[in-house]
Amino acid sequence: MGGVAVRSCSPGTGRLSILAPRRLLTLALLATLLACGTTPPPSGGELRLQDDAGSTISLARPAQRIASLIPATTEWLFALGAGSSLVGRTTWCDYPAAVSAVPNLGDGIAPSLEAIVAVQPDLVLLYHSPVNAQVATRLHGLGIAALLLRTDNLADLDRHLTLLGRATGRTAAADSLREQIRRELEQVSTAPVEGAPRIFIVAWDQPPMTLGRGSFLSEILGRAGARNLFEDLESASATISIEAVVDRDPDYILVTAADSLPAIATRPEWGVVPAVRERRFVRVHGSEFNRPGPRTPAAIRTMRRAIEAVRR
Amino acid sequence: MKPWSVPLLTGLALLAALWGLASGAADLSLTSVWLGLVDPETPGAAIVRHLRAPRVLLAFGVGGSLAVSGAALQALIRNPLADPYLLGLSGGAGVGAVLAMALEWPGTWAVPIAAFLGALGAVVLVYRLAAVVGRRLDPRVLLLAGVIVGAFAGAMMTAVISLSTAEQLRNAFLWLLGGFSGASWSSLGLFAAWGAIPLTGLLLSSRGLDLLHLGDEPAESLGADVEQLRRRVLVAASLLTAAGIAVSGIVGFVGLIVPHAMRGLVGPIHRIMLPAAFVAGGTFLVVADTLSRTVVRPMELPVGVVTALVGVPIFATLLRRSLR
Repeated sequence: MGGVAVRSCSPGTGRLSILAPRRLLTLALLATLLACGTTPPPSGGELRLQDDAGSTISLARPAQRIASLIPATTEWLFALGAGSSLVGRTTWCDYPAAVSAVPNLGDGIAPSLEAIVAVQPDLVLLYHSPVNAQVATRLHGLGIAALLLRTDNLADLDRHLTLLGRATGRTAAADSLREQIRRELEQVSTAPVEGAPRIFIVAWDQPPMTLGRGSFLSEILGRAGARNLFEDLESASATISIEAVVDRDPDYILVTAADSLPAIATRPEWGVVPAVRERRFVRVHGSEFNRPGPRTPAAIRTMRRAIEAVRR
Repeated sequence: MKPWSVPLLTGLALLAALWGLASGAADLSLTSVWLGLVDPETPGAAIVRHLRAPRVLLAFGVGGSLAVSGAALQALIRNPLADPYLLGLSGGAGVGAVLAMALEWPGTWAVPIAAFLGALGAVVLVYRLAAVVGRRLDPRVLLLAGVIVGAFAGAMMTAVISLSTAEQLRNAFLWLLGGFSGASWSSLGLFAAWGAIPLTGLLLSSRGLDLLHLGDEPAESLGADVEQLRRRVLVAASLLTAAGIAVSGIVGFVGLIVPHAMRGLVGPIHRIMLPAAFVAGGTFLVVADTLSRTVVRPMELPVGVVTALVGVPIFATLLRRSLR
């Protein structure tokens, strides 16, 4: 199970509780409740929240102890000023710096139920995938509210921000943040870069994989003024032929790894692509390119600058 | 052997090669393909010369090698259901490749070399296990040892995969599914360097394979050194298959089906059947690879999917015909 640092119940005392008896108690509780079978989500509350899976939960009052198992929502919660109510995060949550003080509950997909229960959250945020749907059902059976959210694209931004604002009782902060992000997005997404360069996104070199227009990175690319070479592909990612890349002849190649020279530069069969041969790489890296969040306007700006830097 | 077999096989092979050169994600007319082959300056030349040509040749080489290995192993184990990956080769190669990807070993050839070494490691293990019972490498013991080593390798692969990130997991599975998208003149050269000697060794063991088919005692009474022959065939078939896995992942059905088809077409004498299997296996895989990169272009299907979809009905027909 993922490493668990158990905090004491009352916030601010900073005392590390004794692990062993609490774990035994948690396990016994889990066993008893699971043996009783699943129960419907917690209801009879004032605050009704609907998630991306279509189910609605009710909270008696705004959440005070949130286990955010999605890196995107972790960023949003800190941006809303609700960082202190976080009692759990994933290994992939890396922004802002204060997040390192929040207990790491392990992976966000198929997370450890024991680790989640041990931090006693009153709301759990899970990424909407089939595996996590089962986890959400199990959590409901244990009396813990869970929301399934698909944080893939910019279109979900408004909806999720509103939801989080209501869940934490910070609707005013959520509204102003939403307006601010909208304004910033409008500012950075102005005219396309001269000539609207066509850029090939390398997701993997062997087999060759790219990201279609359904992916977040493709969206950033579009707003930064360039065009995804494979914008005709709907899916988020796809395995394609190198021949197709050669045929479409991209102006630049987008590389998201931090390495100085991407893997495709060294592979012999990729040398057929002129952009690879001439090392026309646009390099960006950082977790702000993986998820929609408060850093997205800055990410678009960085992308635009990176493209313009290569053109010079 | 029917007299039209040789022209038929060579004709089909040439047609497949031409089709492979003329087809792909990029829409090139036959004239531009021809111009691309003769003149490096034309627009389609890069695609035809550096992507399609080595890919067709590599697919042909790997397909032929898998068919020959499959035929040799079927004679070695005296079991018509044997395929080249029987003796833990696919498991061993998988462990090597998955480890190289999870630990991110540097270099373009890290994964192929790791896969090759992993496959060889598995075969050495199988040999040592089988030799414990007797140095004559009893086919049944070989089979069991192969199953054991394959299961062990599979478990290790699962362990590595379960501890790796989602992206490494996806990449490992994609590699294991097999494909020729990484084909280049360099990988073709690598495959030729690793596979030429074992292939020749297998082709030269044709008479020995005929004798093995009869059984150990008849073979020995006819002058075959069964122990040495088995060892040679095992080593050669394993090296050849390992070379194929290293450059193109695990491609199923070729090594299983093609020998059977060839036995029906040209007879069971290995001196004729093995070369026929090479040509037929190569043709089959070229066709499968061309299909995999044209049916859903610009996307590509893993070639193992196509060989299964095409191969299973063929195998079923062959089976029915042989049982009638």
